[in-house]
Amino acid sequence: MSELSSLLALMIFPGGLALLAAGLLYEWADRKLVAQLQNRLGPRWFQPLADTFKLLAKEEIVPQGVHKGLFWGLPVVAVAAALTAALYVPLAGLNPAAAFRGDLIVALYMLSLLTLCLGLAGANTYNRFSVIGATRTLTQLFSYEAPFMLSLLGPALVAGTWQISSINQYAAGNTWMILTQPVGFVVALVGLMGKLELPPFDAPEAETEIVSGALTEYSGRGLALFHLGKDIELVIGLTLVSAFYLGGLTNPLAFLLKTLALLLILAVLQSLFARLRIDQTVGLWWRVGALLALVQLLLVIVLKGTGVL
Amino acid sequence: MEEQVQAKNKFVVPIGPQHPALKEPGHFEFTVDGEIVVGATVRLGYAHRGIEKGCEDRNWAQGMYLVERVCGICSHIHAMTFALGAEKLANVTAPPRAQAIRLLVGELERIHSHMLWLGVQAHEGGFDTLFMYTWRDRETVMDLLEMLTGNRVNYSANVLGGVKCDVTDPIASEILKGMDFLEQRARYYLDIVSTDETFLGRTRDVGTMTKEQALRIGAIGPTGRASGLERDVRLNAPYAGYVDFPIKVVTEQGGDLLARTLVRVKELFESIRLIREVLDKLPPGEISVRMPRRVPEGAVVSRVEAPRGEVLYYMKSAGSDKPERIKIRTPSICNWATVMATAVGHKLADMPMLLAGIDPCFSCSDRSVKIVRRDDEQYMTWEALRQYGNGFYR
Repeated sequence: MSELSSLLALMIFPGGLALLAAGLLYEWADRKLVAQLQNRLGPRWFQPLADTFKLLAKEEIVPQGVHKGLFWGLPVVAVAAALTAALYVPLAGLNPAAAFRGDLIVALYMLSLLTLCLGLAGANTYNRFSVIGATRTLTQLFSYEAPFMLSLLGPALVAGTWQISSINQYAAGNTWMILTQPVGFVVALVGLMGKLELPPFDAPEAETEIVSGALTEYSGRGLALFHLGKDIELVIGLTLVSAFYLGGLTNPLAFLLKTLALLLILAVLQSLFARLRIDQTVGLWWRVGALLALVQLLLVIVLKGTGVL
Repeated sequence: MEEQVQAKNKFVVPIGPQHPALKEPGHFEFTVDGEIVVGATVRLGYAHRGIEKGCEDRNWAQGMYLVERVCGICSHIHAMTFALGAEKLANVTAPPRAQAIRLLVGELERIHSHMLWLGVQAHEGGFDTLFMYTWRDRETVMDLLEMLTGNRVNYSANVLGGVKCDVTDPIASEILKGMDFLEQRARYYLDIVSTDETFLGRTRDVGTMTKEQALRIGAIGPTGRASGLERDVRLNAPYAGYVDFPIKVVTEQGGDLLARTLVRVKELFESIRLIREVLDKLPPGEISVRMPRRVPEGAVVSRVEAPRGEVLYYMKSAGSDKPERIKIRTPSICNWATVMATAVGHKLADMPMLLAGIDPCFSCSDRSVKIVRRDDEQYMTWEALRQYGNGFYR
């Protein structure tokens, strides 16, 4: 029986199909919101799904000079990593499918793996746009990763555990951490935007400069898988930030409301700014983001050590 | 040997002929060292259409409609330059009301062109919200032009000897209403481009060109005016209605992308002011006079200030009903050198905005001159060319 339920958890819910569907719907919500804010109509609700099917049905062109195994394997690894990360987060406000001490670190690394795959995929080809895109993707990875991680460690330290489900429970039982650690929330949110390469942090795939960045040579299945991976990452990222900072996720309704509210904030931020150059992005993260997150973290440690928290 | 090694290490990023940043075909090669651009070249000529030659096979009136297609954005300007030149050759003067209406359409077109440019520039910088907003508001001026002339893009407001469309009272009041709206929007855009930190981060101190550089390279239009060059054909050599309705030239001293943006946005206000003034004091009378079919022998240079800078036509007549030679020099061709001169040292990410910063028009720039000698291998008789062409597709 336990094998069956594990299989269900992996393939149907909360991993697998349900997560893919959620990812596509969240992508639609994001695109629609941004479109409305930009005075456009935006796509219909099934557009991301239709795009995925279209891409899956298309011929995948493998360019000359690439390592074929990597070219085929990287998208699969990217999606697999994102799906694995989903097992540790409280999707739909339910208990995670799997949990152990320190799974926060594992989940974060699984999410970074997707970006890493993206960078490798770009560096794998001879395409000049891909190579520049890959360089920028990895540069961006090194700039947002540390502040994002620090901002998620704040709640973990307060809760006294590095297990996502326990932090979630602690957050549900205490004051919302957006109030106690506002800086951490902002850094986490902006870090999430960097992770997802959303505007204004979309220098790695700036279409007016380097076409489609690391994914320029991808068509068909590989592109569809990378897009799916990004969509899953969006859902997981929203879940993590709202579980940690918006008072935990204990039921499906709270999950829906909190993540969508967060998505709305993301959409507004996406349409407010001009694209940052990659040097501006790095500067912003290391000069402002990392410092702020670090100060906040030190404050949390000191307060905890003196017994105030 | 050492040079070869260096050449190997060079990393060239091609932009174009097909590239998402370009809406028209052009080819740019940026040699980069990491993200820093160390060399830039431009190659044009992908959209050569043979318009100058085409004019020689058409009579004067038909030629005017043909040159209106040189540019999809400043179409009125080209027709007006052609009409002014042909009228000068034929010793015909269009009535004052026609001249004022030419100015009116020209300024409406300038508003439409500058708003289009602002949107494109914002898009190149990844600021799609501003792009969508400007293009939405641009619809206002497009609708006004359609109401006035019947067309949204190639207005064909001119005829040789005057204009085709008259400004009636209801149209005038609609235009004034539109101007009120656009002035309010232009104020909003001025606020955004001069205060938004992310946009400033992409435009301030990018592509700075000093006044001396601009003079040496021969920058014209808003690109030159952003470097402090007070040059505007509307002021220096007034034509059409600009004799009676003088303009105030907008200049900036910065010389960077920010200055170019500011010049264009501020020119919106100037155009709006001028349109209001013209509508207020529109001269009464006829809107066109008769133009002879055959134009007397002679040559003339006709100059007009397009939204991108000075348009220059050299027109030669041999006394027939067809022009002997039409030479068109569009403003974009003068400004390309400024991009290549200022690109080096900047980041690759700045290149799209720098390219768009001169408000380039690729197909406008494409004229070809090729000297073919009789003993050239490429020389072909008409018959041989026909046979080659027929055989090619068999």
